[in-house]
Amino acid sequence: MARAADARSDIKARLDRAFNPRTVAVVGDKRALGYLWLRSMSTFQGKLYSVQIDPGEIPGIEELGVPNYPSLLDIPEEIDYVLCAVPRQVSPRIVADCAAKGVGAVTLFTSGFAETETEEGIRLQEEVAETARKAGLLLIGPNCMGIYNRRLGVRHSWEQPTGDAGNVGFISQSGTHCINFSLVGDRHGIRCSKTVSFGNAVVLDAADYLEYLADDPETEVIGLYLEGARDTGRFFRVLRETARRKPVVVWKGGVTKAGARAIYSHTAALATAPAVWDAAMRQAGAVQTESLDETIDAVKALVRCRPGTGYRMGLIAMTGGQSVVITDAFEREGLEVPLLTDASYAKLSGFFNIIGGSYRNPLDSGGTIGMGFLPQNLQKLLEILEGDANVEAIAMEVGAGFLARRMRENPGILDSLLEVVSAHRERSAKPFLAIAHPGHLEDVSAMIRARLLERNVAAFTDFRSAARALRRVVDYWRFREGAD
Amino acid sequence: MSIVDVIDRAKAEGRTVLTEIESKQVLEEAGVPTAAARLAKTAEEAVSAAKETGYPVVLKVVSPHVTHKSDVGGVRLGLDSPEAVTEAFAEIVAAVKEHEPGARIEGVAVQKMARPGIEVIIGMSKDPQFGPVLMFGLGGILVEVLKDVAFRIVPLEPRDARQMIREIKGFPVLQGFRGRAPADLEALEKLILKVSAFVEAHPAIEELDLNPVLAYADGAIAVDARIVVG
Repeated sequence: MARAADARSDIKARLDRAFNPRTVAVVGDKRALGYLWLRSMSTFQGKLYSVQIDPGEIPGIEELGVPNYPSLLDIPEEIDYVLCAVPRQVSPRIVADCAAKGVGAVTLFTSGFAETETEEGIRLQEEVAETARKAGLLLIGPNCMGIYNRRLGVRHSWEQPTGDAGNVGFISQSGTHCINFSLVGDRHGIRCSKTVSFGNAVVLDAADYLEYLADDPETEVIGLYLEGARDTGRFFRVLRETARRKPVVVWKGGVTKAGARAIYSHTAALATAPAVWDAAMRQAGAVQTESLDETIDAVKALVRCRPGTGYRMGLIAMTGGQSVVITDAFEREGLEVPLLTDASYAKLSGFFNIIGGSYRNPLDSGGTIGMGFLPQNLQKLLEILEGDANVEAIAMEVGAGFLARRMRENPGILDSLLEVVSAHRERSAKPFLAIAHPGHLEDVSAMIRARLLERNVAAFTDFRSAARALRRVVDYWRFREGAD
Repeated sequence: MSIVDVIDRAKAEGRTVLTEIESKQVLEEAGVPTAAARLAKTAEEAVSAAKETGYPVVLKVVSPHVTHKSDVGGVRLGLDSPEAVTEAFAEIVAAVKEHEPGARIEGVAVQKMARPGIEVIIGMSKDPQFGPVLMFGLGGILVEVLKDVAFRIVPLEPRDARQMIREIKGFPVLQGFRGRAPADLEALEKLILKVSAFVEAHPAIEELDLNPVLAYADGAIAVDARIVVG
């Protein structure tokens, strides 16, 4: 027991070295890959090296300004993280070099192992795993993209943002989902702290990365794309422990029968009975999602919404039709839209414009706030909902179409609206989110959402995804509180 | 006899299925309330056991080779006199011999007829990845046809027991359906947690079925129990 704990804390320390490297070596990058790795790592803040023995490839690498060596062992300093992209037959030798060099961790981007279900693939995978295990070398993968550290510019795609810090960690069995989470998430104001795509998980398993991010002070919310863990029992225990400290969003792939078949050829993981998996996630306190979009929505809401534990919504929409459907959307996700207190109605009756509007909850308030022209009235509405004891969370529609028209006459109108909304978000103790439908003005709506996100307001494109994300936030904080 | 002894004895006899009497004995020891059953090897013993337990009683065949007792005519309910018990004993032995000729019959279990309650089932099976998983559901058709059950991974925490009871679609039945008294949910939760602790402490247990457990307005009790060991 004690030895296992020591081994795990050692893994954590070495993962920390790999996730925060001072030196990185890329082994086997080449023109045919478009220098994927060296270009991705060009933003790396530390010292980058290349290892390549093919004389035809070396000039191209040197043109990129990266010093090249014929072997890892020839590099004249310690290497914290190695990205290995050599053909599978060569990979055992590189892994052995990594062990001899004493590197922090090596990612095997190389594929063609157990996931091919071929004898040779399985044998090679066992060979690299055995070498790594014997040497106590941390091996990420094979068949994966490895580490992304936004702050340090360690990347696995040259499109990934870099330079500033982030607070969301992502652990993914799939390289595609890992990259997409960082790229699409960035469009939703999600800044990754550290992510890892870990593929076949022969040495390090999902639980190892989760344990590391659970203790990572930079990481406040963790997302996970998982097809299957090598040791599901341990994964469950680590997840249950982690979810009590930070929100963990788990997106499980291969839930359906055919999906499970696809898993095997992808990462060689075993499938689990869906009902048992579902129960386990609930028990562990994980936030469950079913797609990249849902995962991003949930993470966005968890990062930006206050930790509310109540299901009762106060809703603001611009028109009658939207008032009806926003209410349906939130009720469908199991949230409630109660009547407000008499005190709130007394306040509302003093100024609310009931011509073409109403204020039972939802507040049909396009007229009252002049579609954005009367921000002081919006502020009053938000204050009333904030002070209403029947309301535990607030969502508001931002009418992009109306705003776009008004902005032509008065370009400053958006700023004053944003001012009111973000000031409310700062003061409010209740979860708050905004919805700006694309409608026929996708660019305006996207711009409004981006501005909202800049100001820390969770912004969504439609009522349903907003409602679903909020439900997940509330369920999570209820779990944390021990409710239900 | 402790659970370890019971398991060892079963293994020594080449059995993996504990008898109902053995199962209940080890469950009682683990703090799981069960409807006590006494072994009667003869009709006379059955009558005297019934007298001690109080009528009406239930007779169930005890045989290491019979798992589904009612399928082989091994169960008789609502026996309210010494004559009925004597007759039922003979009938059970005859029926089991007919349906399951090779089965060794150790006797019958005599158990007081439980007062009516809401039937629920609590089970444990081993998931190849998660290990022991507990299942909870309402008894009868709801489990068989609608698969209206909830799962939790062992070990359970109090909140897990609370949630799994409330998670099933049939939960309103336990809340007092059509004027019936609501079930003692706390007793059910306690029972589930005891089962969780029991299977956690004894990894040799491969399967466990409490079917039915009767939930009352005051308390809950496992009326039948079956344990498979590895």
